[in-house]
Amino acid sequence: MKRARRAWAELLEGFRIAFGALVGARLRTFLTTLGIVIGVSTVIAIVAIIQGLDRSFEEQIQFLGAHTLYVDRHPWIQSDNTWWMYRNRKKITVEELRAVQRESTLAVAVAPMAGTRGKISRGNIELETVNIRGTSEEYLNANGGGVQAGRFLVAGDVELARPSVVLGTDVVDRLFPDEPVAAAVGKKVLVAGRPFQVVGVLERQGQMLGMPLDNVAIMPWPTFGRIFGTQRNLTLSVAAPPGKVSELESELTPILRRARNVQPGRPDDFAFNRQDQFLKLYKQLTGALYGMAVGVGLITLIVGGIGIMNIMLVSVHERTREIGVRRALGARRSTILMQFLIESAAVAALGGAVGTAVGLGVAQLVALLSPLAAAATPSAIVFGIAFSTATGLLFGIWPAWRAANLDPVEALRYE
Amino acid sequence: MTEAPLISVENLTRHYKVGEEEVRALDGVSFDVRRGEWVAVVGQSGSGKSTLMNLIGALDTPTGGSYRINGNDVEKMSDDQLADLRNTEIGFVFQTFQLLSRSTALANVELPLVYRGLPRKERKEKAVQALESVGLGNRMHHKPNELSGGQRQRVAIARALVGNPSLLLADEPTGNLDSATGEDIIRLFGELNQRGHTILLVTHEPRLAARCPRAIRLSDGKVVADGPGAEVATIGAPPLQAPHHGAVA
Ligand SMILES: Nc1ncnc2c1ncn2[C@@H]1O[C@H](COP(=O)(O)OP(=O)(O)OP(=O)(O)O)[C@@H](O)[C@H]1O
Ligand SMILES: [Mg+2]
Repeated sequence: MKRARRAWAELLEGFRIAFGALVGARLRTFLTTLGIVIGVSTVIAIVAIIQGLDRSFEEQIQFLGAHTLYVDRHPWIQSDNTWWMYRNRKKITVEELRAVQRESTLAVAVAPMAGTRGKISRGNIELETVNIRGTSEEYLNANGGGVQAGRFLVAGDVELARPSVVLGTDVVDRLFPDEPVAAAVGKKVLVAGRPFQVVGVLERQGQMLGMPLDNVAIMPWPTFGRIFGTQRNLTLSVAAPPGKVSELESELTPILRRARNVQPGRPDDFAFNRQDQFLKLYKQLTGALYGMAVGVGLITLIVGGIGIMNIMLVSVHERTREIGVRRALGARRSTILMQFLIESAAVAALGGAVGTAVGLGVAQLVALLSPLAAAATPSAIVFGIAFSTATGLLFGIWPAWRAANLDPVEALRYE
Repeated sequence: MTEAPLISVENLTRHYKVGEEEVRALDGVSFDVRRGEWVAVVGQSGSGKSTLMNLIGALDTPTGGSYRINGNDVEKMSDDQLADLRNTEIGFVFQTFQLLSRSTALANVELPLVYRGLPRKERKEKAVQALESVGLGNRMHHKPNELSGGQRQRVAIARALVGNPSLLLADEPTGNLDSATGEDIIRLFGELNQRGHTILLVTHEPRLAARCPRAIRLSDGKVVADGPGAEVATIGAPPLQAPHHGAVA
């Protein structure tokens, strides 16, 4: 009880002394913390920007359905230059589409996708490189998304290979300037020189990694085949019930192998692509950035810590007599040790807090002035302050130890 | 029949190694001090007075001999125990006051009680009381540089008194004061002694030592006289001893 009270009183005294010292020498406090401030603000800014990127990437990746498998000849993400391995693989055709539609029990929706780039025009407005896709009425069910005006393709469009087209908002904005989006519905446009009727407009999807997703025109795949050729490779989007993507993959593998006549023992000649693969790749990329941030942070914290150690050594030196007086009045070694540790930790914590604020400010500024997003999680703030405080403690040990081990008589005699 | 002495010093030595040479700052000192005594320690510069005070104040550890206070062997104590002894049993007054310059008189006087772990309120009460008892009730919130030399020394005495220690030690408390102020301080010590405090006081001035009931004279680290102040203050000392400081061969 008495010991606890004494420890508490000493702790308070330690804080009081630290506060007095920090406020008493403001310029020195400022210079001491500068290193920590720079280090922490750099790391906080980098981390905030990465976290902002993360969030916007996760939002952007939503256009790839979270529960959707994309069956293609090759993986969309390849580790190195292995594309030649996939180059000679058979195209994916209507055969596979039919097989999946016929045999899969898990699939919620299946849609084929063929794609190319082409011209769309209306009157004298001509758009050169629009992403043109051929698909079925299942497209939205398989991929997610919706229309904001008009309707999507219907079974009749596909069966009869009608010249119907659903446009992305970028295309509508440019073909129908100064008109409401809905005005496009029912109008005629030329796709690759042929007349089409606009039946609907897609919801805005934004962009992914800088690529606009709304520069699209979607038509029935038989119509697409007539214009651009039927021998094109298809990608199948197959939607699974939530949480059953992997089960769907196991079910589809034998169906596709059979449809493509893959001999037993031979490897698959197709690949499943998933949203989370992009996430994984992305995480790898930002992981390297994180590593860099940690490296920079560590180095600057060490530099800042050495700065604190220096100043604390000077401070101990200057206050030699004070230490002697305190020892003469009954302060133990541990009391003096704690007093100086509190001081160095407090300086560092102050630097950490200021650095965190500056870092967040920089991140906000970057977010304002560039397309990069910035988001700070509370954990980044807590880590910023905790790490700098720990640095202060660590680099305060040596000066505090020196202070605690001064000889009282010598210290009192010190001029 | 006689009460056990408050402090008992036996054959106490303190040697310093300076290069190859050994300086015998204290060379076998023995004496007792009983509760309620007021003892002056006199002697020429370099005779070992400060060394003795630092040992008795538990600021320093002896090279040899034994030192007991309240029946406890000080030379066997750990560093923490010495710190606690300084905190509770000893009040030290220095020639150069040794006040914390950034703290008020009150905060300075409270300091020993902080290290004793007293609650803030109790601490303040006692500090105010101690300051009033040295006549500084109206200067509590002044910082040392806003006080005169005599007032500073009074703050230091209040700080030494506040923890109600068994023993007051003063190493030339009047050394940095003019003679009139020094007189006041000595009178204050006299009052404190009247109130029952045990005091050990180093002084250069025979005039002041003569006022003490008892005095001990050191020379070359040895006790050469121990008796009534009026006698010890004059014998063997030049009639007018000018305080001079510096290395003594
Ligand atoms: N840390 C030290 N290292 C070496 N020698 C020391 C040390 N401290 C004191 N001495 C020596 O011990 C001797 C006694 O010193 P001390 O300070 O006790 O003298 P004093 O009687 O207090 O003198 P003064 O009246 O000048 O204060 C001196 O010769 C001094 O040089
Ligand atoms: Mg001396």
